[in-house]
Amino acid sequence: MKQLRFLLLMLPLLLLAGLASAQKKEITGKVIDQATGLPLSGVSVILGKDKVGTTTKEDGTFAISVGPNIKNLTFSSVSYTTQTVPIGTKTSFIISLAASAATEAEVVVIGYGTQKRSNVSGAVSKYKNERIDETPVSRLDQALQGKIAGVNVQNISAEAGAEPKISIRGTNSINAGASPLVVVDGQITPDGLAFLNPADVESVEVLKDAASAAIYGSRGSSGVILVTTKKGVADKPKYNFKNAIGYKNPYKLYDMMTTKEYVNLLFDEMADKMTDSTVNQATNTVSSGDRAAYIIENQLRGEATNWQKQSIREGLFQNISLGVSGGSKNARYFISAGYQGDEGMMNKSEYQKINFRIKTDFDISKRVKLTINMNPSFANRVTPSQNFTNFWRMPGFLPVTHTEATAALSRTNPLNASIKAGDYSHLRHFSNINYTGLMPDGSMWTGANISPSGSAQQNPRSEVNRTDFKSDEYRLQSAVELNVNIMNGLNFKTLASGYVNYTRGLSFAERNANRDGDLNYGIFTNNSNIYLLSENTLNYTKTIRDHDITALFGVTTEKTNIVREQTTGLDFPSEDIRTLSSAAQIDKTRSIGTKNILGLNSFLGRLTYAYKSRYLFSSSLRRDGSSYFGPGNKWGSFPSVSLGWVASKEKFLSNVKFLNNLKFRGSYGATGNNRITENAWVDLLYGSNYPYGGSSGISNPGLITSSSILSNPNITWERTFQKNLGVDISMFNNKIGLTVDVYNSKTEKLLLQQTIMAFTGLQQYWNNLGSLRNKGIEIELNTKNIQRKNFKWTTSANLSHNRTTIIELGSEAYLLNQGERAEVYRNQVGRPLVEYLGFKTDGVWMSQTNIDAARAAGLTSTLPQVFTPGGLKLVDVNGDNKIDNNDRVVLGNPNPDFIWGLTNNVGYKGFELSFFVQASHGGKLVNGDPNYNESGRSIRTYNQNRWVSAGFPGDGKTPITRGTGFNWMLTDYVVEDASYLSVREVNLSYAVSSNLVKKIRLNGARVYLSAQNLYFRSASNYRSLNPEGRSKSGPYSSVLIDGYQRGSFPIPRTFLIGIDLNF
Amino acid sequence: MKNLITLFFVSMFFMTSCKKNIDRLPLNNVAIENYYKNAAEVQIGLNGCYAGLRTTLLEEWQMTELRSDISLMGGPSSNSVPNREKSDLDLFIPGTSLASIYTYWSASYANIRNINTLLNTLAIDYDPTTSLLKKGTTEIVITSDDLKDLSAQAAFLRAYHYFNLVRLYGGVFLIHEPFSGSGALEAVNINRSSVDDVYKLIVADLQYAAENGVALNYSVLSNTTNNAKLGKVNSWTAKSLLAKVYLTMGRKTDAIPLLNDVISNSGYGLVTAGATPYADVFSISNEMNKEILFAVRYKAGGIGLGSPWPNTFAPELSGTSIVNGDGDGFNSGAYEFENQYSAADTRKAFTLGIWPTATTAITSSARRLYPKKHITPVTLLDDAENDWIVLRYADVLLMLAEAQGYSLASLNLINQTRARAGLGATPLTIINVPNDQRFADSLSRERKLEFAFENVRWFDLLRYNTTLPAQSENAVTRIRNHFAFMYTNHYGKYPNPRPTLLEIQAYVTTDKLLLPIPQREIDNNTHLVIAQNPGY
Repeated sequence: MKQLRFLLLMLPLLLLAGLASAQKKEITGKVIDQATGLPLSGVSVILGKDKVGTTTKEDGTFAISVGPNIKNLTFSSVSYTTQTVPIGTKTSFIISLAASAATEAEVVVIGYGTQKRSNVSGAVSKYKNERIDETPVSRLDQALQGKIAGVNVQNISAEAGAEPKISIRGTNSINAGASPLVVVDGQITPDGLAFLNPADVESVEVLKDAASAAIYGSRGSSGVILVTTKKGVADKPKYNFKNAIGYKNPYKLYDMMTTKEYVNLLFDEMADKMTDSTVNQATNTVSSGDRAAYIIENQLRGEATNWQKQSIREGLFQNISLGVSGGSKNARYFISAGYQGDEGMMNKSEYQKINFRIKTDFDISKRVKLTINMNPSFANRVTPSQNFTNFWRMPGFLPVTHTEATAALSRTNPLNASIKAGDYSHLRHFSNINYTGLMPDGSMWTGANISPSGSAQQNPRSEVNRTDFKSDEYRLQSAVELNVNIMNGLNFKTLASGYVNYTRGLSFAERNANRDGDLNYGIFTNNSNIYLLSENTLNYTKTIRDHDITALFGVTTEKTNIVREQTTGLDFPSEDIRTLSSAAQIDKTRSIGTKNILGLNSFLGRLTYAYKSRYLFSSSLRRDGSSYFGPGNKWGSFPSVSLGWVASKEKFLSNVKFLNNLKFRGSYGATGNNRITENAWVDLLYGSNYPYGGSSGISNPGLITSSSILSNPNITWERTFQKNLGVDISMFNNKIGLTVDVYNSKTEKLLLQQTIMAFTGLQQYWNNLGSLRNKGIEIELNTKNIQRKNFKWTTSANLSHNRTTIIELGSEAYLLNQGERAEVYRNQVGRPLVEYLGFKTDGVWMSQTNIDAARAAGLTSTLPQVFTPGGLKLVDVNGDNKIDNNDRVVLGNPNPDFIWGLTNNVGYKGFELSFFVQASHGGKLVNGDPNYNESGRSIRTYNQNRWVSAGFPGDGKTPITRGTGFNWMLTDYVVEDASYLSVREVNLSYAVSSNLVKKIRLNGARVYLSAQNLYFRSASNYRSLNPEGRSKSGPYSSVLIDGYQRGSFPIPRTFLIGIDLNF
Repeated sequence: MKNLITLFFVSMFFMTSCKKNIDRLPLNNVAIENYYKNAAEVQIGLNGCYAGLRTTLLEEWQMTELRSDISLMGGPSSNSVPNREKSDLDLFIPGTSLASIYTYWSASYANIRNINTLLNTLAIDYDPTTSLLKKGTTEIVITSDDLKDLSAQAAFLRAYHYFNLVRLYGGVFLIHEPFSGSGALEAVNINRSSVDDVYKLIVADLQYAAENGVALNYSVLSNTTNNAKLGKVNSWTAKSLLAKVYLTMGRKTDAIPLLNDVISNSGYGLVTAGATPYADVFSISNEMNKEILFAVRYKAGGIGLGSPWPNTFAPELSGTSIVNGDGDGFNSGAYEFENQYSAADTRKAFTLGIWPTATTAITSSARRLYPKKHITPVTLLDDAENDWIVLRYADVLLMLAEAQGYSLASLNLINQTRARAGLGATPLTIINVPNDQRFADSLSRERKLEFAFENVRWFDLLRYNTTLPAQSENAVTRIRNHFAFMYTNHYGKYPNPRPTLLEIQAYVTTDKLLLPIPQREIDNNTHLVIAQNPGY
């Protein structure tokens, strides 16, 4: 269309040209990238129909002499849309080429090699975004959220630099690791997504189906993320400089009540109850503790502390990078340096990293190529010693530091004799004191020996300020790769690669930081992980007429060396001397050291065949042998096969003009998982010492089988078999591209910690038992809605749905697991992986009369506190008139029904606006916050409209404060909808026009504004701050106990302004 | 070219021969099958089993003292779940899924497994048909003396756990062989044993330990040569515990000779010297004194062997005024019980601390009684020196009194501990203790005061129903009266709507004297129906 219009405009010129004299003339010009304005080298300049005239030089320029009968010039380059322009009378041209989308020439990385996009028959998603580093997040994985169908990235913590939870096509494992394998330039790097500088990333490919991932064999069952970093092209040096700066603040905080507001509420409730004949007036009073708290806040201080704000600050975000790339014909380089500073919204939460990358390619000879890649990086992490919950849990009456008045009050208790104004105040400073003051109802009240709060919780501000939890992370990824072209089509590649990750940390707490009388302590940690890889592959490529054949054979060996050391020193003479040698004492209880070496040997092979690029076949096999398993069980085989049919190339579709590409794909493959505890095949003894002898005794060494998980010498690989069917369609001049994949996978012989009877002395047994099914659908849609010269609009959308079902758990029908608050998670055969099991409630018991009536009708229960007025009213689901554990039903599951992401890019002249919406629908979560007594005192949501008495039952749904009536955590009262929709990123940029740029001797200049989480909407029954937040430690590290949230951290809203210069 | 291809195949060969890369053994730990090859290694394993006793103690006071009439859950207003669970135990409304009930259970069985593994290695098996331990042929290198000593200690530890389990949970699962490999899966076919069968194993183990254990006199044990044996189970320890088992089973006549044997021949005795003899029994500078028949050992100094009790039991929010690092305030004393010490009784001041001050009025809601006998100074949180005493000589004396029943001889046994407590001037006589009932009540009270906060009272309450039938209150009545006494000052302070006194008293039934079998054990067995204890 565009070209046609162009031609029409040019028509008069063409006519004129025809009249011009018919001699050869010299034409010069330059070809640039339409998007970036960078010069393009190696572009073919074609004269007329098919005669190659020349190619552009490194600076994008060309010069050619044109005969009189040549009317048009055509510019063509791989991965750009070919453009033809009429010559006319012009002798100088500036041609800007647009990048082509999903063209046949596009190459995707598939593991141990690359493949033309058009020949891919598995499910491989590619994500390529030049501006991925303009996303205001400090980690690559966070930047990938919602961008790729089937890849679920969940920011379970909003702290600076925190690791999100990533899953590809659901959960394929129960007790073995279920996160995807990350491979950076061929090297398996478990935390690659954390330390990479997004500016260095060329593309991210995700191998989603088992057939594609099978080449990674034993580690492919949770999908594979392949990251390819940028490399240099032969050209004069090109420099790129980016600098962005911005800030972060919380999207939303809790609506807190001050102590005054809360006590006023209590007095209002008391007044209400006085008019209610069902209330025993003898007990109708406000507790002396609440009265005392009221006096402190209202009388002594005159203000309340908003503890949330004591935790939160405006965090600074900074991203600077400098890159240079270029090279000569025989040596090319890409060098970059980057700095990212991410100050968390919470005080003492910081993540800073510095990255360097040097990637060089040398052509030693015509047949031998050498690549050297080095990526040192340094990160510095500061973590707060207290979580956000511990801040908002603090009652408002407590000052951060003592005023003269509060200190004087504290001192009336002899225990606090030394307290003075300016000291951090603690709840206990107000305990056991005599209070006198005016109450909200106007009465005078005096109480002796009163404690406004029974909580032993420390003032979190004091604790955070007195502790420094810091760690330095040093990483070096480096690789040497030698590529030898043995003969035409046959290449040998040998790769030696190493990834070293060393973390040195010191968590230092000053005296009395955690509890009074605590010594100061420093926990020194030294952790190192060394991954060594040796990879040797033979690659053969041959085209015989219509037959394209490739073959790959390789052997790899890997060794992983993991050392963890922790030494705790106590009683340092001064807070300023933090060296281990100056500690008066070493605390053995908090000192540990472990070392593990793991080995993996592998053979791999792959054969692909394409006939006329129309019928595609690919098959691979990998055999892995691992030290994770015992003798006889070490080796596993992981085969795969996939087929493709490019229907659009068939004759019967060749006259369907709008159809550019129609491809059907089908695959079947096996992948494995060995990410279990090391040495799970052998029972181990652990140190357990004991003293004997007179008086205090002498410690004697002891050993014990303290592990609660019994080993199993026969365990071996769990394997996932996955079927994938996919279709790729592009239509209307590639303006609409659609990819749909459906899959069905079954994981067998799960590496399962099978629950066994606890009276065996053990709680679990490692077994290959049971199976899981994952079924799902993924849709990716890319459209170019408007493609005019000055106005462009493209959209890309993805949507995925996955359901994980348990097919079998050995002889067990179900497993029941408990979380930290005894809430129950059920894993039942034939059902979704995790379901919340609990009691259904029907509002609250409105009055004792209601309870008596129900009991008179025969309702009974042996459960504690079922019949409490104002408490939750449990539903007798099975109708046996007895409320017991048999009435527990499924209350939901954590798995979203579907997740989607939608990016729109709108460009007008130099302006470009992209906005990205991301959402998750249908998952449920268990909210642990209501469990806290403090929630009811501080957060308005929890005590608005609550039950007060039979006469004032509130909304009939909100129970009386926690602690009375049936345990909320066992009911649907705490199960909430985890759905959300977020305007995750908005990026507005302006590219300074090329003429202007030239004047200041640049090749390109852009300024941009970027924002994250401008709008966030959570479900109406969700009561906390961040529906993405999840607890992942303690019992929640198991995938079987999923969906619990406690003290979610606020959603960060980030604004960023940046500049991008090319010269 | 050729060279490169050769290089490729050479490197391939190197790879395939690199079997070592994947044949690896653990680096930090010992694989169990390679261990226990000689006496020294069995001793090291046994040390681990002793250390395992500490894990059950973490919950034991909740299962015993908290449910008894001498202790309360210190913070009634707290709604945090761990605290609430302790309140539930205190109030006799424990849910079947209560965490501590399961933790105590699984920790006991975990140690039983370690003990069974050792006994198995030593080829000592329990034969349920004869109810005896029998010796097989062991493959390890060990002298018969070592074998006897080590197996006696292990058998005692197993009996110790089962004795606690059977008293707390009733007929438990009787496991006397270690499970390994897939055998552990077969456990679903094992159901609960009868209380009688559990006691048969306990008696067999203790008889074996009494016969085979070291029977050195305390004076010899405590000399410099044998000093290192202090703290290990010996024959006297086994005899004393066996006597308690017999008493609990109602076999008084079987208990008497054992107790007399310990009194006459063991060399153990009451600590009576010094100005504060009762306090000296617990002094951390006098550990393993002649009164201590058995204690679970703790050792301070940041070596991971310290005791947590000072920090667990000191009053909440007491800062550093009682112990460094504050206290949790659990296991708070019941006020009714402080009144029962007579004025001259020196034990009171050492047993009960009063917080915030000694003069805080009894009506003050801030007032707390804390178990002072467990409080010793700590440098580090949960790192105190004091041992947990399980069996001491005073118990032997009072058990003998209990076994013999009302007689002057029995009263004189009681008078020994009373005299040590400063009550020598007012001995019990036939005149002031004129009948069976007064005897039963006096003995019960004396044990309560002597062994307060030593996890003894609850088991005494259970046992008196058999051993002191003449007592004026049985266990259920006693606990109900305890609630009545404490309601105004304590239980009545629970947040509204709190249970009324009548409701709390109704919670206490004979059924509820047993804890429930942890729900997990019932839920996880899909093969057998595991009967829950009645009332749950």
